[in-house]
Amino acid sequence: MEGKNYLIFGVILALVIAVAAPFLASGNPDGLESAFFGIFGAKEIQGEELDEHAAGQAEEEVQGITGNTFSFESPFPDYTLEGLAKSGEALAIVLGTLIVLGVAFGLGRLFSRSE
Amino acid sequence: MHIPDAFIPIPQAAVYWIIALIFIALSLRWARNEMRDEKVPLVAVLAAGIFAIQAINIPIPWGTSGHMMGAALAAIVLGSPFAAVFVLTLVLIVQGVLFGDGGITVMGANILNMGVIGGFVGYYSYRGICMGIKNPYPAAFIAGWLSLFVAALITAVEMAIAGTFPLEIGLVTMGLYHAVIGVIEGGITAVALYLIFTARPDLLSETKGVSS
Repeated sequence: MEGKNYLIFGVILALVIAVAAPFLASGNPDGLESAFFGIFGAKEIQGEELDEHAAGQAEEEVQGITGNTFSFESPFPDYTLEGLAKSGEALAIVLGTLIVLGVAFGLGRLFSRSE
Repeated sequence: MHIPDAFIPIPQAAVYWIIALIFIALSLRWARNEMRDEKVPLVAVLAAGIFAIQAINIPIPWGTSGHMMGAALAAIVLGSPFAAVFVLTLVLIVQGVLFGDGGITVMGANILNMGVIGGFVGYYSYRGICMGIKNPYPAAFIAGWLSLFVAALITAVEMAIAGTFPLEIGLVTMGLYHAVIGVIEGGITAVALYLIFTARPDLLSETKGVSS
């Protein structure tokens, strides 16, 4: 791949990953959440099952411990677009990917060393 | 590994923000001094790719999942741990502000864990391992694995300071899950590095040139 072609390939690859992500991604809690649910008794640390009720209680309980009740309504919570299912998630992740691309490019140009 | 707001008391979260801001300032200084204009498109594509791949949670045993972090990859490809701080900070801001992935008050902690710890452990372990074994891909695998594993242990320590996890069970549980998730990190880091170095062999010689 010569010149700038590999960058175009990179952008296309990122967008393909973005579209595929919601269809491939596991809904299981991530490592930190899973550790949290395990330690707070909503699942066995080496078990598969999550007790949804206990998980909700754990989330309230931890706010009591830390006192951090800050909450923030993001425009697209958990990569969802209102009213759209998986296709909305794909769209949200594509949107995020393009925003990161644009912002990184803009800030990169702003801060880069020009010769 | 994105910490939500509720997991850290606000005064502690503020301390992590201050540490993160120092590293963000240093990463901007790195950009001014080291990031040449022609590198900017590569930085942007790497950031976009890392954002996209972070959206794929891969299932691991024990009802858990994990995703790539990308700090080791960014640091190795761009030749500086501060490059990882720069890239991961942008990714984490977009994730937190637009998608509610990772908290706002605790974003400094997330930047510290994934950008700073991930970037520094990934970069320096890669450089160190490359001195012993000449093949960059196994080195990248180990560096990727270590970057994620160490970041997870640091997160467990922060959770202990916060009073959220007891220290020992936190370290053991986070260590267990992230030892497995690290295989994903290491694998994708090695494969992505192979693709990038195949397209741009000059970047490989640059990273080697610095280390010799």
